[in-house]
Amino acid sequence: MASSSSDMKGFFREKKKSAKPNKSGKPIKSAKPKHSASCGSDVVQPPALLSHGSPDLQDEEYDEEEMILRQFDMNMAYGPCLGMSRLGRWERANALGLHPPQQVQNLLMGSKMNNSECLWDGRV
Amino acid sequence: MEVDSGNGVVERKQSIYKSLDESFEIQKEMYRGQQYSQIYFARLHLMRTLLYSLIPTWKPHLPVCTVLGLEQGKECIIVGTLFKHMKLKPTILDEYSKERSASPLVKPHNFMHSDDYLILEDESGRVKLRGTILVPSVYVTGLVVALHGKETGAGDFMVEDILEAGLPPQIDRPLNPNGDDKYVVFVSGLSVGSSSANPLQFQLFVDHITGHLGDEKEQGIAAKIVQVVIAGNSVEFPRGLFNGQNLGSKEQSKLSEPTKELDILLTQIAAGIPLDIMPGTSDPANFALPQQPLHKCLFPGSAAYNTFRSCTNPHSFELDNVRFLGTSGQNIDNLAIYSDASSRIDFLERTLKWRHMAPTSPNTLGCYPFTDRDPFFVEACPHVYFIGNQDKYVTSLIQGSDNQVVRLISIPRFAETGTAVVMNLKNLECHALSFGTQFD
Repeated sequence: MASSSSDMKGFFREKKKSAKPNKSGKPIKSAKPKHSASCGSDVVQPPALLSHGSPDLQDEEYDEEEMILRQFDMNMAYGPCLGMSRLGRWERANALGLHPPQQVQNLLMGSKMNNSECLWDGRV
Repeated sequence: MEVDSGNGVVERKQSIYKSLDESFEIQKEMYRGQQYSQIYFARLHLMRTLLYSLIPTWKPHLPVCTVLGLEQGKECIIVGTLFKHMKLKPTILDEYSKERSASPLVKPHNFMHSDDYLILEDESGRVKLRGTILVPSVYVTGLVVALHGKETGAGDFMVEDILEAGLPPQIDRPLNPNGDDKYVVFVSGLSVGSSSANPLQFQLFVDHITGHLGDEKEQGIAAKIVQVVIAGNSVEFPRGLFNGQNLGSKEQSKLSEPTKELDILLTQIAAGIPLDIMPGTSDPANFALPQQPLHKCLFPGSAAYNTFRSCTNPHSFELDNVRFLGTSGQNIDNLAIYSDASSRIDFLERTLKWRHMAPTSPNTLGCYPFTDRDPFFVEACPHVYFIGNQDKYVTSLIQGSDNQVVRLISIPRFAETGTAVVMNLKNLECHALSFGTQFD
């Protein structure tokens, strides 16, 4: 990834007049590794960090609900989060007697479907 | 189910059968792209909870800590999954290795090496295990154990003692010393369709247990057989057909011949005795454990009988409240490749003491990636623990610390040895039933 900063020319590539240039605000849906925010990249809000694949500049739920759910995903006590739905993982943790926070279940049952998968879903 | 012996009708005994295969069925499972880390987590958590409950009776004065919480010189107990680092274990990366040495194409039967070492792992970290108590040749990857010891200066863990889960609790089987003898017949490795299997031997076996052979006394004994269990590898397809080419209609009919032949013979058995058939390595079932029951369409004749039951591998059932558990041999064969024991029956005993039937899965033994449970964990101790497709007939009776009594049976391959195993439900006594076809 060391060459990611030198790839800025490739990102803001100069196109023909007929084609629109790529604006930096719009996310690029293709999962190219040089667009990740891992190191040295200037890209604003790269898609890899967005759990819904869309810009959430105006998404207020990202701060509260999503943060709580992400903390639940990252907590090692409940096991690996990859490959399982969040509700499935919560139910497993409950069945194993780990006392996962009830708030997480309320969030998952009550709200929309767009937070049912774990943080890394589709990214890894 | 009656055999007319001339003087009267000899009736076959019956037993109450209850299948316990539900945890081995995967129809309800949905694959969502999960990896094996989920089943390892479920296994670790299940067994760690169990071990934590056993530690107070083992060494109550020692603190329990996680691997990351180890302090140098402090004696403590850690619980985690064992990983055995094996030098000779084949890895897929060997194909890409630059030094293409003349490595043998013939796989060794056993991948053990004197340099193998064990590592204990839990969610927080892993630590290398040292000491003479833990012999790497006995243990395999995937076991969950509790270890007593202390961290050395080099960052390794010097093991002083080990706690295995031990035999699970057992419900006492009904003691009925004056009751009737009822026999269960185990057979495996029929290999119908292979060039080495002798069809006459199997036909003799079928005729004997259905009561078509022998005098009244023989028939009387055969009438006491209440269940037949076929433990895997019932068919063997001719290997020449699997060379990657499209099969013409002639080859396709060759492909279905072994199962047709097997069905004819199984119909004869199912007409008279309850029959359980389990899939094995060479049967047309899925590869990964738990293998799902062979489809009824393969047995158009026998499936019509309600005595015919197609079962999973591993298979668990209860007959007159005597609990049976067994596999077609893949788990023990895998253990034999990655560890050492003086006899195959020792592996059986070890898996019971570890309370896990297939510890090497999913590492070296194919397994379905369960997320929330580990079906190979033995919750209740069986009274009879069997394994199919072994080299010879061996049996032993083991006692647990809590008055558990288990009969261990190693069923030989019928196509090679012509031997089946007969077990008496009343007292768990076993004997072999051999069929020879030499006309010397």
